Amino acid sequence: MSLEEYKGVFIFAQQVDNELSSIALELLGKAKSLAEDLDEKKVTAVLLGSGVGSLVDKLAEYGADRVIVVDDPELKDYRTEPYTHALASVINEYKPEILLVGATAIGRDLGPRVSSRVHTGLTADCTQLDIGDFPLEPKEGVEQKHKQLLMTRPAFGGNTIATIACPDFRPQMATVRPGVMQKIDPIKGAKAEVVEYNPGFTKNDCYTEIVKIVKETSAVADIQAAKILVSGGRGVGSPENFKLLDELAEVLNGTVSCSRAVVDSGWKPKDLQVGQTGKTVRPALYFAIGISGAIQHVAGMEESDIIIAINKDENAPIFDVADYGIVGDLNKVVPALTKRLKEELAAKG
Amino acid sequence: MDFQLDQQHEMARALFREFAEKEVKPNAIEVDETEVFPMETVKKMQKYGFMGIPIPKEYGGQGCDPLTYVMCVEELAKVCGTTSVIVSAHTSLCCDPILTYGTEEQKQKYLVPLAKGEKLGAFGLTEPMAGTDAQGVQTKAVLTEDGKEWILNGSKCFITNGEVADVYIIIAYTDIVEDKKGRKQKKFSAFIVEKGTPGFTFGTKENKMGIRGSSTYELIFQDCHIPAENLLGARGKGFPIAMHTLDGGRIGIAAQALGIAEGALDRTVEYVKERKQFGRAIGQFQNTQFQLANMATKCEAAKLLVYAAADAKKKSDRYSVEAAKAKLFAAEVAMDVTTKAVQLHGGYGYIREYEVERMMRDAKITEIYEGTSEVQRMVISGDLLK
Repeated sequence: MSLEEYKGVFIFAQQVDNELSSIALELLGKAKSLAEDLDEKKVTAVLLGSGVGSLVDKLAEYGADRVIVVDDPELKDYRTEPYTHALASVINEYKPEILLVGATAIGRDLGPRVSSRVHTGLTADCTQLDIGDFPLEPKEGVEQKHKQLLMTRPAFGGNTIATIACPDFRPQMATVRPGVMQKIDPIKGAKAEVVEYNPGFTKNDCYTEIVKIVKETSAVADIQAAKILVSGGRGVGSPENFKLLDELAEVLNGTVSCSRAVVDSGWKPKDLQVGQTGKTVRPALYFAIGISGAIQHVAGMEESDIIIAINKDENAPIFDVADYGIVGDLNKVVPALTKRLKEELAAKG
Repeated sequence: MDFQLDQQHEMARALFREFAEKEVKPNAIEVDETEVFPMETVKKMQKYGFMGIPIPKEYGGQGCDPLTYVMCVEELAKVCGTTSVIVSAHTSLCCDPILTYGTEEQKQKYLVPLAKGEKLGAFGLTEPMAGTDAQGVQTKAVLTEDGKEWILNGSKCFITNGEVADVYIIIAYTDIVEDKKGRKQKKFSAFIVEKGTPGFTFGTKENKMGIRGSSTYELIFQDCHIPAENLLGARGKGFPIAMHTLDGGRIGIAAQALGIAEGALDRTVEYVKERKQFGRAIGQFQNTQFQLANMATKCEAAKLLVYAAADAKKKSDRYSVEAAKAKLFAAEVAMDVTTKAVQLHGGYGYIREYEVERMMRDAKITEIYEGTSEVQRMVISGDLLK
């Protein structure tokens, strides 16, 4: 079997409860640009599930030229073994050059299993994907291969960035961090070629039995897990006024947190408190709104990647740690910001 | 040199002691457990004139000297750390600056009811970003264009008598000036702010290790308008006013620390006479005897320093170093003596009913508030090396 036999960019179209996960559409967006760089014309989505035919059109609208559907009762809910069997069979049958999987809980479980089964390399949790030469610079005595998938991911807790290639095996597999890649604007009425495929399923010892699926509805958000925090202090003025922050958080898919003053005033539960006596957070983006920025608070959030401060007092110490600062009335700034973000995000789809 | 208290002082001390034993001691455990401000006791102290001891009679006070006031705080602290700090914060940190810096109108309007015990006072300097480094104050006061009002914005934290007090001395910055080198410097001013002024509210109530009945609150100022005539002293002189006020306050805290140490010693002496092990009272063991000897000697040394500081305040306007030495030493003695007192009580010392554990918890704050022990060392060494 030669590497040349492997053609095309495939993505695993994750669905849960017969609803496509957002990551599936993000992967399609990236797969399209990778396919162009490879002079490939086609992007293929692999859809596994039970009674999932209705999802094909949406995949087409977001850029899938072909959808390989494995529809089987065994695939109703995600389980490692049947899904691995299905996806590995698809690979052996259709031989993709590249296979992208979302780095979700499901994808992180499925990706490594599949890559081992088909004996190829996998890079986990990628944040950037390019087509290029490997090695990056020509080296003497080493054949430089062209049009390889260069997979870039943060390692060691984000302290180093590694670019990884898989030159000798196919498919080149990557799990991709959700929220990094861009969906394309959906093309209304687009249709994809549908290929029905079923490798046949034989139950074995590895088929787990799902006893119960519990949908967690957490009363209080886990602010330590949030990527985007919209944090309010006493300057917000009242518990009702926090709706401005709720709206901003909703647009950004973020979580609302707060300072100690807000908890002491009884506006928010203690679980949402950031600071020395609350939780220490490290989101990618931290909005400090109406927070003066005493060290008792700053100690809990200064490690955030980007800090945006909104405060009416230009001398507030929060501006010492903020990457971006707005001096102004939060009652005017926050709604305006929410509105603009809504428009921008709508334009992006 | 005279180490004898005169008859007047002896009589005053007897009065304070009787009040402390009868009125304060029975509630001390409950005040600590429930963290409830002892309002009933404070009302009685107001009635008996305990809230204006060193204030001249013409301003509603008792017209006594600083030593009499110190003894009052000391005797209260022997039985209840909470009650002693209520008197100390009110007298040293609120009445004293109005007496020293206030205009006649301000004295009539604010000092008289404070000293008479009709109102309770507090002092607001500390902020989240400004503790030992008091220059870090961010609360801001701006004079309105017509010059009739100041508008305060900011917050204060850890304020003793917060929320229960009627009158507050607040330090805020009013100007930013450039020095010769072009560095910006904040200029502070002191203000008298009344409870109930619109824009002045209370935030967090602190849950503390010791002096748990003392009401320690956050103060919040949001566009709080106060009349221009409530500026205390000259504009821009707030920092020296605050520092001078704290000098006096430190004598009060030194007296509190001294009282806590003496109270713990008194209880320990009683206990070791009664408690028997190995067939005799534990007071018969030489370790106990030597520990008690150390404790008593330290208490006496602290007492002389505290009384000397009170005497210095009586004689002169400058007593920073004496006050710093008294507070530093008395606070560390209080911590040491109360810790030993718990030890000599054995397992019972760790039980709340025996009260020495409360004294140990109360003692720790005396090393921290109104200037940490490290600040006192800065003051003392600064004077040595000037």
